[in-house]
Amino acid sequence: MITMKSRFKIWTGVAVVLFLFASCDQFEEANSAREVQPLVTVVKANLNIGNAPAPTSFNVKLVNYAENYTVTATMDASGRISVENIIPGIYTITISTEMSKGGFTYNYSGNAVNIDLVENNKEVNIEVGASKSGALVMKELFYCGSKTPTGGSYFRDQFYEIYNNSEEVQNVKGLCIAILNPLTATANLPVWPGEDAAKFVYASTIWQIPVDKDYPLNPGESVIIAQMADDHTKANLNPSSPVNLLSAEFETLVKTTSLISDNPAINMYMAFWPSPTPQWLTTVFGGAFVIYFPSSPIDPNNYVSPVGSTSKNYKISIDEVVDAVELVGNANQVQLKRVPAVLDAGATTVGGTYISKSVARKIKTTLPDGRNIYYDTNNSSDDFEVMDLPEIRRNGAKAPSWNTWK
Amino acid sequence: MRKFKNIYWAGMTASILLLSQNIMAQDENSRLVNPASVELLKAKSLWFNTENSAGLTLDKMYDFNNLLFDVNLKEGDFKRKPEGSDERNLGVSTEGGLNLGGGYVWGKFSYNNEKQEGTLYNTTMLDPVRGIPYYPVDKNLSDWVKQDYNLSMKVASKSLWERYIVGIGAQYQTRTGAKQVDPRSETNFYILNVKPALVATFNNHSVGLNFMYERTNQESSTTNSNSQANQDVYVLKGLGYFYSAVVGGLQSLGKFVYDGNKIGGAFQYGYIGESLQLLLDGKYTYGVEDATSTPTKPKKEGSVKFNNYEADLQLLIPGKNLNKVELSWADHNTSGIEYVQVLDKTFEVQRWITTYKSIRSTYDLQEMALKYDFFRGSDLDYKWRTGLIAKYRNSDDVYIFPASEMKIEEMMVGINAKGNLNLGNQNRILGGLSFNYHKNLDGLYVYGGPDPESVIITDFMNSDFNYLKSGYTKTGAEICYFTRIGKNGRTGMFVNGALDYFKPVDSDEHRMVSKIGFGFTF
Repeated sequence: MITMKSRFKIWTGVAVVLFLFASCDQFEEANSAREVQPLVTVVKANLNIGNAPAPTSFNVKLVNYAENYTVTATMDASGRISVENIIPGIYTITISTEMSKGGFTYNYSGNAVNIDLVENNKEVNIEVGASKSGALVMKELFYCGSKTPTGGSYFRDQFYEIYNNSEEVQNVKGLCIAILNPLTATANLPVWPGEDAAKFVYASTIWQIPVDKDYPLNPGESVIIAQMADDHTKANLNPSSPVNLLSAEFETLVKTTSLISDNPAINMYMAFWPSPTPQWLTTVFGGAFVIYFPSSPIDPNNYVSPVGSTSKNYKISIDEVVDAVELVGNANQVQLKRVPAVLDAGATTVGGTYISKSVARKIKTTLPDGRNIYYDTNNSSDDFEVMDLPEIRRNGAKAPSWNTWK
Repeated sequence: MRKFKNIYWAGMTASILLLSQNIMAQDENSRLVNPASVELLKAKSLWFNTENSAGLTLDKMYDFNNLLFDVNLKEGDFKRKPEGSDERNLGVSTEGGLNLGGGYVWGKFSYNNEKQEGTLYNTTMLDPVRGIPYYPVDKNLSDWVKQDYNLSMKVASKSLWERYIVGIGAQYQTRTGAKQVDPRSETNFYILNVKPALVATFNNHSVGLNFMYERTNQESSTTNSNSQANQDVYVLKGLGYFYSAVVGGLQSLGKFVYDGNKIGGAFQYGYIGESLQLLLDGKYTYGVEDATSTPTKPKKEGSVKFNNYEADLQLLIPGKNLNKVELSWADHNTSGIEYVQVLDKTFEVQRWITTYKSIRSTYDLQEMALKYDFFRGSDLDYKWRTGLIAKYRNSDDVYIFPASEMKIEEMMVGINAKGNLNLGNQNRILGGLSFNYHKNLDGLYVYGGPDPESVIITDFMNSDFNYLKSGYTKTGAEICYFTRIGKNGRTGMFVNGALDYFKPVDSDEHRMVSKIGFGFTF
């Protein structure tokens, strides 16, 4: 007969033994840690630059976002370099340079993200491609919203500015802007079906500039896509809003309400949005956006769903993407990237919500006629900076001539 | 809260049982104890001051019990940032020792309720300097409310076969606290240890051995009262290194769980002669504590591994008066381990996998102390006493790569004295004065990390370093009035008050710590 006292002793003994076994695993794990040693990493560039001229040197940058640690080096034409002082960790490695020849500016870039550098002398091979400077770029994005005078949250003043960064007239007729799935930076990335899944990005919502006529954009001109192209400082909206968007070229009108008017801006076409809401509110935590020209008409019925989910999403070929910008909630979330590195090797953020800040491209150079050329290295961490106040057509960007309501 | 109520009532019940047993076991050990006599009793009891509970039988302590209610107040700006500019602590504690069947039983229970006002740079920790560098902080001025329950006990058997004494000691402490301003937090912490012990006696000589197992657990969750405003936090990694995170929104900082285990052992040698008693105690402890975030998808924030070596020699010259010399030494070595983890995004798995771990920081601390106490009169209590103390402390914290270092070397000398004035009819006034001088011998903080302009460095670490390397004086005074109550003549009551005033040598800051309380002895 086992008494209560004996049972207590037995269970106490079992508990102590279990604790000790648990301790042993923990101790063994900790004891196997050795003092950190800086590593050497070998970075090799595999040039795939077609007919572009071969540059004589490349800028190599290794960024460990978790530690806010950056190592830079210059690689010579051999395309190989040993980089020292690497803290073991997860890195984004970019190779970039630019070169002017024959009246063209060529961008050379290649990158690799989430590279696990934990072994000494690890070789990382990076494909480096060349392109003439991008024509259309997302120049400024105001996504985080603003506060009302009473401390409420206001999100109808979001806008996206698209700029002609090239030397030639661009026609934005039929240009699409899409927000990708997942909407916010997350460690729980969806798994997409198909062996070629990596060749696409997947949109939750797509808006398209009408194809009814041409919408030419001269070099140095930009168009504004507003969630709601109204003067947001009006008393019935948000007097504390930093923007008046009445001069925006396009707006994403879903339907009019007591607050939402059909403004002078041209209404975009809702090309894909399986479950629309009264307004196109994109996440104030930072979405991932692409602009692209679809090679064929968008068929909303031709949707795909991630494994284990019934959400409807639209496949966009990476080859069709004109520009991509990944936005995240804070700097540490860069490691939770959603956009493939080939489109955006980094990410940018205003670092908060409803704080009336925007992200805008940095000026690369200003031409004699005053026109600005903006950075477009396909790395938003480098190309963008945070602006304390959003501003449409910042730095003297012009509105297109067909915008008669500006 | 229900759990804490249970602990409270368990503690009170244990205390009452202990006290009631004492009353039933009246014998020649029964004496009217007062605060001075308990102080003298503990000074004489060399084994009591070790972790070897079996040695209590050799101390030949008499029965004693006390119950204390007190209020502690702190104010002043000479403090570390996470401390409150004003702090209030309400406490109740009871302690008792009992001769039982030839052995000895000792127990203590305490409850504290604390409020801190004006803390900075502490989002989740009940004790930010308890030895784990991985925790979030924020720059919002905030209040904290905390409470804790502590249960401690030691039991020693009678001498078995006139040679061996077995014993066991245990401690259970549970704390809870909540930060009162966004980002808010709620933290629960417990510590449980058991210390089985053995002593063997050989005439005047004795040797002892005890083991120790300790388990620590802390869970801290963060939230915002205002869901419209996310709050920035900085997750520290030691010596000012951090990563940024946010409380609120879809990517809010997850719950932090700390899980620690510690084992250790100690060896004692004791000698009891007519003119000299000594006890040498050597102790070693080894432990690991892991900090993990988001328990549903655990990600290691870091671990600490520590090796602690301690030695303590107590020398007692008994007689009409009592002389006691204590020499102690300690060497604490802690390693901070960080992990490189990648997310396995496989749909069915989705977990963090460790690809690399390394010791990124080390924290070394050496301490030495020499203490001399003289008690005039050494029967039940003393007439007066005086003491001298000298301490040396050298801490050297290193973040290995990128290199940073904080080094603090300091010494302290102090003198104290107390007079125990007998007013007759078991009324006493115990008054004391103390003066300590802390001198910084060396101080260095070099930050070589990537964020030298962040508030963590410019406002938190630099000011913390300036505090740590400050030389300062501590002047203290205390007074206690004791009187006998009750018909049996064994119950006494006392009221006491104490004041400590801290004044840095090089600034106009100050810190004042005051205490007032009343209690009973049985």
